[in-house]
Amino acid sequence: MGPVIDAGGLTHAYPDGTTAINDVSLTINEGERVAVVGANGSGKSTLQLALGGLIEPTAGAVEYFEETTDAEAVRERLGVLLQDPDDYLFNTTVREDIEYGPAQLGQSRATAAERVETLADELGLTELLDRPPFRLSGGEKQRAAVASVLAFAPDVLLLDEPFGAVDATYRERILDLLAAHDGTLVVFTPSLDHVPELVDRVILVGRDGTIAADGSVRDVLTDRPLLADHGLRPPVTVRLFAGLVDDKSLPLTVAAAREFLREK
Amino acid sequence: MTGVVGRSVESITGALRAVFTAEQLAGEDGVLQRRDPRVTLVAITGLAVAVLIARTITVTVLFAVVTLVLARLSAVPFRQLLSRTAVVPLVSALIVLPQAVLLPGETVVAAFGLTVTDAGIAYVVFFTLRVGVGVGLLSLIVLTTPFSAVIAAMRGLGVPVALVWVIAVTYRYLFLFFDELQRLVLARNSRTTQGTLRGGWRDGRRLAGTFLLRTLDRGERVGRGMRARGGARPPSPYSRQQPLDTGDYALLAVAAVAVVGAGVVRWGL
Repeated sequence: MGPVIDAGGLTHAYPDGTTAINDVSLTINEGERVAVVGANGSGKSTLQLALGGLIEPTAGAVEYFEETTDAEAVRERLGVLLQDPDDYLFNTTVREDIEYGPAQLGQSRATAAERVETLADELGLTELLDRPPFRLSGGEKQRAAVASVLAFAPDVLLLDEPFGAVDATYRERILDLLAAHDGTLVVFTPSLDHVPELVDRVILVGRDGTIAADGSVRDVLTDRPLLADHGLRPPVTVRLFAGLVDDKSLPLTVAAAREFLREK
Repeated sequence: MTGVVGRSVESITGALRAVFTAEQLAGEDGVLQRRDPRVTLVAITGLAVAVLIARTITVTVLFAVVTLVLARLSAVPFRQLLSRTAVVPLVSALIVLPQAVLLPGETVVAAFGLTVTDAGIAYVVFFTLRVGVGVGLLSLIVLTTPFSAVIAAMRGLGVPVALVWVIAVTYRYLFLFFDELQRLVLARNSRTTQGTLRGGWRDGRRLAGTFLLRTLDRGERVGRGMRARGGARPPSPYSRQQPLDTGDYALLAVAAVAVVGAGVVRWGL
């Protein structure tokens, strides 16, 4: 289980002088499930773009799969979903957008067609496949974007706010799809409610663009003062049970909370 | 930026944005839709070349009829074909309009010291018609064939990758250009009230500056979206090639006859 992403000293400053990420070093190992959390403007999206090889950091470098620092050389193994689906869906139909990745990355048409049908079915896109993406609602666009990144079955998923405007039903389906992903998963999000269902490790990015905490889901998400200092609210179950039970027993998910109450 | 200027910009950008996504016709059952995309590309381009070769208005009108027949057989409404085609010949007409008074010939109208000649009018009409028919034919390709299939056909026909790349990126960015403009106009309209025409123009100038910055930013972000899925590599959409049938050969034959016929009429045997 070697590192799939190994970033050292990543710093990125925009032309207006804003330093979005500041000397970030982190390692993501094969098969790990990680959430990168932080308040708005903390630099999560910039970090995602840098880790995905979509911007050139001002300083530092990222090594992929212990092989290369060139993200383009391993593009078929990296699934990077951008925050805004309008930046991700640029083809003339939803079907073309979902097929775009597999086609560009040299996957067979038969495999791609099968994946398009499966993902469209899972994400309620079957009726929308021949429509232009710009005619979709916000939630539909988000689902189409998620389907587009899953379509080429990358080993590593780097997803920036994959739930966006998605309604509760399809949020559950996306959670199921991500739970079933047997590769490495890194989710960038300011909302912590679904984090315990998806990942084992949480990296907290501070407002100054540095890493403020890196630990297990329980260690980071039950540290209420730490989260409050960084403008974050703990998951709903942590808020509900805080003070009633010790942090080590706090249920982190709704299912765990239900089980906890049943036992009591 | 409500009012005449705002409404005009909004309707024009909406229409142009729709032009770049009018792919529902590609799913209709029509003569061109049933063709192999390579055949459509070669045959229609051949017909457009024949239009360029033609030097008589009669032959050009004949090609206009062929274009309309192909549109009808491919379930393309004339109105949609016209809306997609009209801008280019209209601009062309404006450019060559001075020829109406510059070319020597029989006087048709004389006013304000300018003399409009019959040869001048004939030239303007012929030039505009030729451009209109050529653009109409090329529009038929994109109206009846999914854009990704056109790109795949170009790759299949051995068109240089650099050229295919430029066409693919230009097409996508033109759509994004109008999409961004429409978003900006909608955002401003939602926070402004009915103003004067002068106010609308003033607001429009400010909008133009913001629009340029937003387009550049959006272009950069979409570029990242493309690269995230292999967009840094040459365009390689899935081919929709199929074995050629009688209809494919017939269309190629029509195009070949058109090119040869136009050449014979122009240069003789």
